[in-house]
Amino acid sequence: MAERTVAVTADLTPAELEQLLLERPDYEVQLESLNQWQLAWRRFRRHRLALAGAALFLALVAIAIIGPFFVHYDYYEIPHPDELVYAGRPPSWISGDWDPPLLMGETARLQRDILGLVVNGARLSLVIGVGATIISVVIGAVWGGVAGYFGGWLDSVMMRIVDSLLTLPILFLILVAGKFLGRGDWPSVMLIFGLFGWLGLSRLVRSLFLSLREEDFVDAARAVGVSDGRIILRHILPNTLSPIIVAATLSVAGVIIGEAFVSFLGFGVDITQPTWGNVLTSSLDFLQQGNWWWAFFPGFAIVLTVLGINFMGDGLRDALDPRARI
Amino acid sequence: MTSVLASAQGGTRADDVVLDVRDLRTYFHVMDGTVRAVDGVDFQIRRSGRLALVGESGCGKSVTALTIMRLIDQPPGEIASGEVWFDGRDLLTLPADQMRAVRGGEIAMIFQEPMTSLNPVLTVGDQIGEAVKLHQHLRDREAFEAAVQALRDVGVPAPERRVKQYPHELSGGMRQRVMIAMALSCRPKLLIADEPTTALDVTIQRQILELIKEIQERTGTALLLITHDLGVVAETVDEVVVMYAGRIVETGTVEEVLLEPRHPYTRGLLSSIPSRGKRGQRLSVIKGVVPNPFRMPPGCKFEPRCPYAWETSVQGEPTCAQNEPELLSLGDGRASRCWLHDPRFTGRLRDYERPTAGAEEAR
Amino acid sequence: MIRYIVRRLLEAIPVVILTSVLIYGILLIAPGGPTARFAQNPRITGEQIAAFKHRWGLDQPIPIQYCRWAGICNPDGEGLGIFISNKGLPNILPEALGGGDNGMLHGDFGFSIVDGRPVTSVISERVVPTLILAGTAWLLWVVIAFLTGVYAAVRRYGLFDSALTVFNYVGFSLPTFWLGIMLIAVFASQLRIFPASGMWDTRTVPAFGTDRYWTLLGEDPGYVLTDLLRHLVLPVITLIVVSIAGDSRFVRSSMLDALNQDYVRTARAKGVPEWRVVTKHALRNALLPVVTNLGLEIPFLFTGAIATETIFSWPGMGRAFIQATNNYDYPVLMGILVITAIIVISANLLADILYAVVDPRISYG
Repeated sequence: MAERTVAVTADLTPAELEQLLLERPDYEVQLESLNQWQLAWRRFRRHRLALAGAALFLALVAIAIIGPFFVHYDYYEIPHPDELVYAGRPPSWISGDWDPPLLMGETARLQRDILGLVVNGARLSLVIGVGATIISVVIGAVWGGVAGYFGGWLDSVMMRIVDSLLTLPILFLILVAGKFLGRGDWPSVMLIFGLFGWLGLSRLVRSLFLSLREEDFVDAARAVGVSDGRIILRHILPNTLSPIIVAATLSVAGVIIGEAFVSFLGFGVDITQPTWGNVLTSSLDFLQQGNWWWAFFPGFAIVLTVLGINFMGDGLRDALDPRARI
Repeated sequence: MTSVLASAQGGTRADDVVLDVRDLRTYFHVMDGTVRAVDGVDFQIRRSGRLALVGESGCGKSVTALTIMRLIDQPPGEIASGEVWFDGRDLLTLPADQMRAVRGGEIAMIFQEPMTSLNPVLTVGDQIGEAVKLHQHLRDREAFEAAVQALRDVGVPAPERRVKQYPHELSGGMRQRVMIAMALSCRPKLLIADEPTTALDVTIQRQILELIKEIQERTGTALLLITHDLGVVAETVDEVVVMYAGRIVETGTVEEVLLEPRHPYTRGLLSSIPSRGKRGQRLSVIKGVVPNPFRMPPGCKFEPRCPYAWETSVQGEPTCAQNEPELLSLGDGRASRCWLHDPRFTGRLRDYERPTAGAEEAR
Repeated sequence: MIRYIVRRLLEAIPVVILTSVLIYGILLIAPGGPTARFAQNPRITGEQIAAFKHRWGLDQPIPIQYCRWAGICNPDGEGLGIFISNKGLPNILPEALGGGDNGMLHGDFGFSIVDGRPVTSVISERVVPTLILAGTAWLLWVVIAFLTGVYAAVRRYGLFDSALTVFNYVGFSLPTFWLGIMLIAVFASQLRIFPASGMWDTRTVPAFGTDRYWTLLGEDPGYVLTDLLRHLVLPVITLIVVSIAGDSRFVRSSMLDALNQDYVRTARAKGVPEWRVVTKHALRNALLPVVTNLGLEIPFLFTGAIATETIFSWPGMGRAFIQATNNYDYPVLMGILVITAIIVISANLLADILYAVVDPRISYG
């Protein structure tokens, strides 16, 4: 019987399968097993919103990478240093004045092209978002993993520290750190967000480790003398990846919003390096003059990015959930 | 085909039948396609009769019960066709408020998981009393007493204390007693028990079965038992309907089906039960799994797993792999959905009826 | 129940202590410290800085500094005497029992570096505006998120559910401060329906909290309250949109979860009418995770308050925090952090207790 078994991949259409059935009536259908990630990709692919979100996010990443080569921006190059005009010009498609063409209008006072600010700001906003998330995922995974795996008093102490820090709104700490420790350059801002962003994640990882370390396969590994470090890295960590990936994806969105706010207040990246947050800094003062476009477009870029990331995160959550149907 | 079982009882009168299910089809429309969970099921239960729906998980027996109660979520479910006659009314066309009066009042149901089937934030008495209040229009005080009485009836010790407890304070067996008390509190004409003992310890299983049987005999309610456990069937019911992949594959009285299974699937089920007579032998199991609902075999649904299936080279002769058999009446109310019982294949049937020989040959 | 509450209270104590240590530690590692602001001033001599340090106890070992700030040590004491108050009893005791009168434990948060006023009075005049803003927002947020979430779950896949899903996705992606700016652009600058900033109309209403404000409130409550409400509209919307988007999604999924449970099927099988299935059987179970979540989200209210109060110039704690950070005003910063932490810990405690009340499975032992 065994040699007559036909391996059939799960990708066959019912019609193809029927054909196979007719050709080989006496066989046993065996679905070739796809691994966890292949299954996840299949589910993700069917999630239309997630695909749209991923496309949106990738498009913004592409703009961040290649955009600055086309849309030039230099902080020290002031477009109209001698003019006494203070209000910015609105987008050309509103005013009808296409000389010069202004897709998103101008800032007031220095009259910079907002398109240039948005395109050049994309780089740092995205880099800080992703970079800070990587830092906090590493810290959170190690902290939560160690606490969850070893348990006991170590777990109590480590988790009480997390509890205590979580009683403070993290943004408070980030603001203080940004003001007192930040030097206004992007690596220090990224580091600050990374260093304060791991708390929630460490709780998640700890709870995953707590339940996984009771599993039989961990006992089995321990029984044959595998070291703790290897058990953590090779046996438990791979099983915690799915929820970590989902949490990390959503965290990127959180950092992008947080960075924008902190920089907007002037506690983050300084204005010589544009981000979506710090280009908004003075926009509030010119709203009364009707200069809404200055505040609108950089913020809208944030909304699009975060929306894309959230869609992706939702898709990933569904795709990586082992309980979900294939 | 509708009255396979009715004829078994030798001319059963229509008013002697409490539940008459005809050509019931329940489909689920999900992302990957349509699952025909129940695909043309007919059976009847007499007043005070006891019938079991038997089959592996996923064969559609629970969906059948939920369809009778109209508890299928629509969408994704759809009751595609069929009639469910209960006391002269077709439940499937009944207005929602009348159906609600039937549920709990005239047809009651016990579920498989006593752990999750009771509401964790309401007291036991509250949950039993709710049914009584709804259907017998009692006041709170009377409902409370009815709940105590219902618990006493199902043999719960100290019922006055138990009614005030929450489900998590009770053991699994105790909870299933509460479920039974709740179901029987309104004296239903039909009790549907969906795997009532599966989640319980073996010793408790026995007590619960005894309780159901005892109450069924005392109150004269009809019983529709849903189970995969043929041991449970033997002790509890009179008639058996075996289901596979949404269809009935065999019917008959309990003695007939258990002692002389006609369908290869039933035979497979029976031979996988451990018993004293088989001590020392290898326990046989049905190989393979229930077919994927999206990729049903075109012929007999059991063919991929059937040790007796055969190929034929004769033109025009049906083959197991490509032609699905009808539910063939075998007289005396028995029926089997297998080509073996087609008059053309009596030779093969003889091999089949020689115990185990046919199976060995087929392997 | 009482025992349970007492036990949870006792468990909260180490968290409070650890939090205060962490707050102290975080500000300690900040470069410069409280004397950094003198560095640029040529007219301040080294002796003056040393005197300043001695005055504030900054020349002491760090644990002693912390203990003084917390109110365990007496700043006037020497040697082991630092633990003894001027009345000769342990300094940690309340003042009425013969303890000291310094440090947080005795309600003394020190003095603002900027204007020398007591931190307690700086904070207390900011607490009420924040409570008005955050309290209104919290109430609306909880009620709206709850109603919309439950309704969407019951009418799943309906028109309202779809609309809410879209709103939730978009709302959850909005940066709070940007939403505030946009609301100002539309409703204050263009349409001129609502004021863009502040808490009261400076031309017709005296400053909030002053005697003249309360006098006018007594004389013409309708006018003053309408004025306050008009100023509340935009900040409250800013504060709640993101939270509602997140929470109504949470309530919806929690309710869907409850509606899919076996006991809901049992209730339906009993013939319970659908609205009672929802309100009696599903709702209470769906509430359990929601209640916990509401407590855990209190910190977000403060985070949101920083953004909202900055954008709308609302004279609350969030704005005070930003100002204190800008001025390196350590005592005020630490005071705000400690008070926030205590509010958050109390909220979590309350959520725990509420959870125990709704869920009979929690044992109070």
